[in-house]
Amino acid sequence: MSFLTLTDISKTFKDTAAVADFNLGVTRGEFVSFLGPSGCGKTTTLRMIAGFETPTTGSITINGEDVTYRPPNRRNVGMVFQSYALFPNMTVADNIGFGLKVTKRPAAEIRKTVQEMLDVIHLPELGARYPYQLSGGQQQRVALARALAIHPQVLLLDEPLSALDAKIRVELRSEIRRIQQELGITTVYVTHDQEEALSLSDRIVVMNAGRVEQIDAPFRIYNYPSTGFVASFIGQLNLLPVVVQDASAGAVACGGQIIRTSLSIQTANGEAVRLAIRPEEIKVAPAGAEAASDNRLNARVEGVTFLGAIVRVRAAVDGLAEGPLLAVDLFNDRQLVLPKPGEQVALVFPPHACWVAEHSET
Amino acid sequence: MRKRKINLWGWLWILIGVSYFFVPMIGTFEFSLRAKKGELSLLAYQRVLQDPNFIRTFSFSIGMGVLTIIASLLLIAPTVYWVRLRLPKLRPVLEFISLMPFVVPAIVLVFGLIRVYSGGLLSLTNTVVGTDVLLVGAYMVLALPYMFRAVDTGLAAIDVRSLTEAAQSLGAGWGTILFRVIFPNLRAALLSGAFITLAMVIGEFTIASFLVGMNAFGPYMSQVGRNRTYESASLAIISFALTWLFIGIIQFIGRGKPGQGQVVGAR
Repeated sequence: MSFLTLTDISKTFKDTAAVADFNLGVTRGEFVSFLGPSGCGKTTTLRMIAGFETPTTGSITINGEDVTYRPPNRRNVGMVFQSYALFPNMTVADNIGFGLKVTKRPAAEIRKTVQEMLDVIHLPELGARYPYQLSGGQQQRVALARALAIHPQVLLLDEPLSALDAKIRVELRSEIRRIQQELGITTVYVTHDQEEALSLSDRIVVMNAGRVEQIDAPFRIYNYPSTGFVASFIGQLNLLPVVVQDASAGAVACGGQIIRTSLSIQTANGEAVRLAIRPEEIKVAPAGAEAASDNRLNARVEGVTFLGAIVRVRAAVDGLAEGPLLAVDLFNDRQLVLPKPGEQVALVFPPHACWVAEHSET
Repeated sequence: MRKRKINLWGWLWILIGVSYFFVPMIGTFEFSLRAKKGELSLLAYQRVLQDPNFIRTFSFSIGMGVLTIIASLLLIAPTVYWVRLRLPKLRPVLEFISLMPFVVPAIVLVFGLIRVYSGGLLSLTNTVVGTDVLLVGAYMVLALPYMFRAVDTGLAAIDVRSLTEAAQSLGAGWGTILFRVIFPNLRAALLSGAFITLAMVIGEFTIASFLVGMNAFGPYMSQVGRNRTYESASLAIISFALTWLFIGIIQFIGRGKPGQGQVVGAR
């Protein structure tokens, strides 16, 4: 049974629908991320769970209790904000103990919990400092400890790492996951950073224009996107203009070259559609190389970009004069022979690596 | 190493500004020392400080000032906070209202107050306490532009919404949010608003003279100025010194704890 349930949630601001038909069940101890571009309604949904916004329709239950119209200070939901929102007039220890003081817990219990939380966030010595004396990463750890100190039923995090630099972001990401798993707390995390969502979550809710596009585990979201939006939003995606040759056999033509997919195509022969392929699924082989059962596209290298762990090759498929350049990601190693711009190559990928994107306009 | 260029024009303007401020004060101070013919003395100061009316009127005005500050803060701080948090569209309206005391002259205001509150159900001018209440009410109106701006600027410097929501999510009610989270972070702003209000109330003449007459410090200063030349100069210097004393006190209290007044957010 779900611990946190959102049923038929919608939120309208004047004439604008920020969230529509949102349904989600989160099990106890699960880590769920809301992922989507700016303005997709992910933060609004989170704020409805927190009680800062009231849904226009639908209901929210936590542990079987309807909290839809309950004020935020009576929901026992911990929240971490992008801007940290630490109280500047209080020390770190006072910040962490604030929620416990509000509920009038005994001083000894407050002291004990504060120290436990400082240990959990690995800042045991910083209780006497003020927020302005901490780095951004430390401030966000304190904000996390403060939210956890009240032993909330649900932990909500609203883009908590957005204001931090890349290195701290990665470190703190692992910290958040470690703490969440240690405490087994049900967590909802809002982010527009797909890497964050993919690495942290048990499940991801991909949202677009106020609606849920797909709810699934990170592996399935990435490898089996159910809509064109999810396919293009998560990771890099090549969309090649192709014409269906044999729908039942899953064959399409791209600039006169035949490509086979592993599934039959639900479009009539002769229809122009777009074929989706992830850049990391494609390999670069010398022109004229045999590809056994794999697809093989002749192309000309247009550019090579070194990105550290990967090398991105951009190639123009033969016969597609006006078509987009195909991106190919090669894993970097010291023996890698980089193709040269202008060189003719064969792009090789298995049939199961490509699929017809139904919503090709995205 | 490059030699720093001295900005002569800058120093000239500073000198002119300082002279404009200090020369009259030095002149007044020098004049206040001439009460005894042929020598410099503190006789005028002695006379002023020995005058029981000085202490009485000054205490009265300080008392009115403190009451005005308390009442203004209780009215304005929560109002401005709420407008910033929930009704941001009303902010220009509030700003316009706060400027009204600059448009309506004090003399018009006091006549209006006397006319409205001299009869009927709200007959305040018939009793001493009622008149004092009316005086505080009038001062609250006069202090509105200063108090509003001080509070509004203070609130602009903190992330009101995030702090409020963070406190709410931790179980805090409105009272706790205001008195333990928002107001402590507005300490410097509230104190500066309070100081301006106090300084204004101490020197205010028009409303005080119509409502409480010689009980207030403003009318007392005016009367001394009319009748006693040297004492009026010494009184000016004393009130100036007291003003600076209050600035000092506010600076001292306003330092608060470390971290107060810090703006939250990414660093």
